[in-house]
Amino acid sequence: MATLQLLRAAQILQQGAEGRVYRAEFLGKPAVIKERFPKRYRHPELDERLTHRRTVQEVRSILRCRRAGISTPVVYFVDYSSSCIFLEEIVDSQTVRDFIASSQPSSSQKDQELHWLAKLIGQILAKMHDEDVIHGDLTTSNMLLRRGPESSEFELVLIDFGLSYISALAEDKGVDLFVLEKAFLSTHPNTELLFQQLLHSYSTSSKKSSAVIKKLEEVRLRGRKRSMVG
Amino acid sequence: MHFTQTLELFPEQRVTQMLFKDVKNAAELRQSAVEGKINAALINPIMLVSPFQALLAANKAVHLQTIGKMKTRSLNSEIIFNLSPTNNISEAFKRFGISDQDRSLLVVVVHSKDESEFLSNIASRVDGQQVPAEDFSSFSDPAKIRKLYKVTPQEETCGSLLDAVVCRMATKDVM
Ligand SMILES: Nc1ncnc2c1ncn2[C@@H]1O[C@H](COP(=O)(O)O)[C@@H](O)[C@H]1O
Repeated sequence: MATLQLLRAAQILQQGAEGRVYRAEFLGKPAVIKERFPKRYRHPELDERLTHRRTVQEVRSILRCRRAGISTPVVYFVDYSSSCIFLEEIVDSQTVRDFIASSQPSSSQKDQELHWLAKLIGQILAKMHDEDVIHGDLTTSNMLLRRGPESSEFELVLIDFGLSYISALAEDKGVDLFVLEKAFLSTHPNTELLFQQLLHSYSTSSKKSSAVIKKLEEVRLRGRKRSMVG
Repeated sequence: MHFTQTLELFPEQRVTQMLFKDVKNAAELRQSAVEGKINAALINPIMLVSPFQALLAANKAVHLQTIGKMKTRSLNSEIIFNLSPTNNISEAFKRFGISDQDRSLLVVVVHSKDESEFLSNIASRVDGQQVPAEDFSSFSDPAKIRKLYKVTPQEETCGSLLDAVVCRMATKDVM
């Protein structure tokens, strides 16, 4: 198990319930390694199948995004025997979460100052959904900002496709946006207007947005009903 | 001239790449490789963008050999196979393996720590001129690479041609 030996000596970036994320040098380049570990409560054979499928889905979604011109980390190597994915490390970047948090202390102006960012996120998510990629875990921590090598403009890099899958259903896309909306508004207080700008940008960029936004509204309503009952 | 990199996953193993131009004995070299008399992967560099590409192919070959899951019969042919975007073995050899009339050649050797004699031995059998292993760009044909790996113009807006190629190589088993 060469991969697991390497990981034992690597720096841990994140420890989760599903797996760990490490940073290490790989073939001379800075890399991020995502490990999924077995779940002991599941039947070993079933667990192996599910873990393998998740790993496959993750790299397929990344490739599909990149083909469409959406920035995601390059996949260097996949070790299916230990369910590890070796990815390009996005160096000199910061999460959208940190960027928004540090941008403007007086919250009233956030939606003006960050309008460009809301627009950019909306455009990229529209492009991703038009490719039928459902991210599955959209948060502002799973979006990185880096400056392009030749330009001063920010580039948005989507990461963590660990829960992603391919679907053309408006419902799945609506839920994807709903997950982001909840994460966004709870992480960044008083950004309702900013998120509206994001959705507006999404709507004007995506070819099939009207059905998705309709589903988003339905899902919101369902969520509210459930919380009234529970 | 050589480019040598340790495989972090297999710290005992090194990969050395040697690039040659004006090669006059490609047919003879290919024959020796087929007979197992040259322990190296002999590659036509036209479809290669950077040494990183061959390095990834070698790393994956050693990995699959270690877990007993190679698709071809030897480590060296597995390196060639891993460069290809498809799972068709004979197609991989046609595109990436050396052909008798080729004039440029990339030699990829997987070896352990101190084998400089072994390496210079292989190098001396090539009747050609060695050039720095970083000089891939003077051999590669980006148009052919884009076609073979099916790289879209959009894809090159978010990354380099190398990035696109690397992703294809890494994910071809599940596409
Ligand atoms: N390719 C990458 N480049 C840089 N940092 C990353 C990368 N992938 C993951 N990270 C960092 O590791 C954390 C957890 O990764 P993930 O599980 O993919 O969300 C992220 O929030 C990032 O801070």
